[in-house]
Amino acid sequence: MTKKKNKLLSDQRFIVLLVIAALIIIYMIFSPEFRQYSSILSMLDFSYYDVLMAIGVTFPLITAGVDLSIGTGMVCYALLAGSLIRNQHVPVGVAMLVCVLLGCIVGMVNGLLIAVMNLPPFLATLCTCMITRGIGSMSSAVPWPTTQQDGGWFHSIFKLTFGTGRSALKIPIGFILVVALVILMEFVLNHTKFGRYTIAIGSNKEAVILSGINVKFYHVMAYVICGLFAGLAAIAYAAVVPTVQPGTGAGLELDAIGGVFVGGVSATGGYGSVLGTLAGVFVIVLLKTGLPYVGLQANWQQIITGAVLIAAVLIDVIKRRRAAKAQ
Amino acid sequence: MKKKVLATVLSAAMAVSMMAGCGQKAAEPAAAPATEAAAPAAEPAPAPEPEPAPEPEPAATEEAAAEPAEEPAAAATEGEYTAGTPFSGITAKEAYKFPIDVKSFQSTYWQAALAGMDIAKAELGVDYDAHGPNSESDIADQVNMLNSDINSNPPGIGLAACDTSSVLDSLQTCADKGIPVVCFDTGVADAPEGSVVCTVATDNAQAGEVAADNMYAALADVIANAEGQVRIGEINQDATALNIQQRGLGFINEMIALIQADGKTVSVEGNEFYVNAAEGADSGDTDVVIEVQVPAQTTVELCSAQAQAILSKADTIGVFGSNQTAAEGLLAADANLSLLGSDPEAGDVIGVGFDAGSIIKGAVASGQMYGAVTQSPLMMGYYTLYALTAAANGDPVEDYPTDGYWYDASNIDDPTIAPNLYD
Repeated sequence: MTKKKNKLLSDQRFIVLLVIAALIIIYMIFSPEFRQYSSILSMLDFSYYDVLMAIGVTFPLITAGVDLSIGTGMVCYALLAGSLIRNQHVPVGVAMLVCVLLGCIVGMVNGLLIAVMNLPPFLATLCTCMITRGIGSMSSAVPWPTTQQDGGWFHSIFKLTFGTGRSALKIPIGFILVVALVILMEFVLNHTKFGRYTIAIGSNKEAVILSGINVKFYHVMAYVICGLFAGLAAIAYAAVVPTVQPGTGAGLELDAIGGVFVGGVSATGGYGSVLGTLAGVFVIVLLKTGLPYVGLQANWQQIITGAVLIAAVLIDVIKRRRAAKAQ
Repeated sequence: MKKKVLATVLSAAMAVSMMAGCGQKAAEPAAAPATEAAAPAAEPAPAPEPEPAPEPEPAATEEAAAEPAEEPAAAATEGEYTAGTPFSGITAKEAYKFPIDVKSFQSTYWQAALAGMDIAKAELGVDYDAHGPNSESDIADQVNMLNSDINSNPPGIGLAACDTSSVLDSLQTCADKGIPVVCFDTGVADAPEGSVVCTVATDNAQAGEVAADNMYAALADVIANAEGQVRIGEINQDATALNIQQRGLGFINEMIALIQADGKTVSVEGNEFYVNAAEGADSGDTDVVIEVQVPAQTTVELCSAQAQAILSKADTIGVFGSNQTAAEGLLAADANLSLLGSDPEAGDVIGVGFDAGSIIKGAVASGQMYGAVTQSPLMMGYYTLYALTAAANGDPVEDYPTDGYWYDASNIDDPTIAPNLYD
């Protein structure tokens, strides 16, 4: 019983859940406004693209890599697809497919550069980050259709609205969607050949190569999955931001990557879970969108977010040291 | 072989990113050579009152704003906009080419400014080359671009500084080399002597006052009849750019004056810069609180988080978003609250925006946003090129402030307003 209790307490995902609970309780005590349903709705609205990016980037991070292009990539895909809707009158459904397709293509380029050309993941994805940011800057600011306009149906993927005005009932079904995707990808990570090899690549790549597995294929696929989710995040981003602005997106990937580390993915790869990622991203989202409710100025919000990240990585380091000592 | 392929791929990737990532947008070559080459410049007209800029033909100018590169000269009769301004009668002594450093190409605002420059370049027979960082937060990138421009010894530089203190060293170099700088959109208050020859910018304090005057007109009765404390919010995307500072403080100071003139007390809270710079605020438990919030980065999502926190407060009666990003953040925050509207007596929160863009225009037209203040980016760009040409000719130039104009659902299609409302 005590062993089980100790195991639970040392599980980073459990600690993260405690942090989330603590943050929510603190916000609710100090801010009556945070207790409103609309505040939770807004927090969820701005969490979907972070969660989707984080689900994807969990895979490269577990391989001991990284993908810095997801933030600028997400904005770039939303801009290009938005331009197609606005200028070429392409149906929104097709534009959404374009987002996903572009994400997969950029993910594959990242994967090929890293797994086949042996470029360091940081350098390769930094280059694609710059490229996607630059391509995005060529477009002008693009608003996707609003809920009242033709094609505005895509908003209902994330939020169902019944009625109008203040009495309208809004249901954040996007949360159910992202939770379903988290469960699916958790299953993929732990119960499929692709998932197990992804973990193995991060744990001991040489051993995987020697065992005759097609490492390059699975390594590239980890980045394709990451790109696919960046494409999905582009749709969620376009649904919540009034106008997608060119030149933006840099830095958004850090919220997702930070969330993944807070959620317990090892900073050196080889270990992690998508469920932990979901919890970790919500810590970042709560810090980003919740701290203004308690009246903390922007500089303090960044300082606190940084401190939480340090704490999360330290927990991982301490756990590793203890494990090494135990051996 | 592997190394060669790797090197080729890397080089290609870096080359593409450099071309695309630097965000440079080269201007079209001059549409037509100067027809009145080397004519001596006319005596500058006496300094005018900062009156509204002469308005162009609305339909033609809208077209110019939407399609900056296409036949800008068709938008106006030559010299029509300069009549009655200090730029009347100016002609270029040479076919100058000026580098223009904008804050970014993030918003259509800058594209409208470049459309104005296109009109001026066709009239003057000069040319320009516009550069800008990827976002208005990329201060270091803009300084690098400015330094590159200085190294090419141009006849003059147009500058909209992302951060006014970061360009001071570069401006000193301009002064040392004798390169005249015309600041537009944003002035540089502490510019070294002899560097900035003139500033063409919205009178931001006046524009902020216009926002406060119109918001107060809607809220005066609510404030007068309030039983408890009421709150007016202000979202500023930063506390560093001079134009945002002046605009934010213009709103705050005017609102303080209006509230106090009606016998009520008012205090300012939130961001330290604005709290300390506000003039004449009361302290303690006041009738009205002006809450000023600034996000960590200049993004819509973080502006929205700040706006959401203010809008959610039960005593909030009005919120001002002091530029396009902040105003769109305010609208995003209202997506789940549906509190904004045009009838304060019915409990609507009065939202006032700044600048334009299709989302803000749509919100103003529908009454969700009570109104907004627009600048005249088109004319700002236009006068900037005239000021640069005059400075390159060696003629004296002086600051030229342009006004901010109020628009709401009732006058959004007015021919004197619509040309300034870019998409």
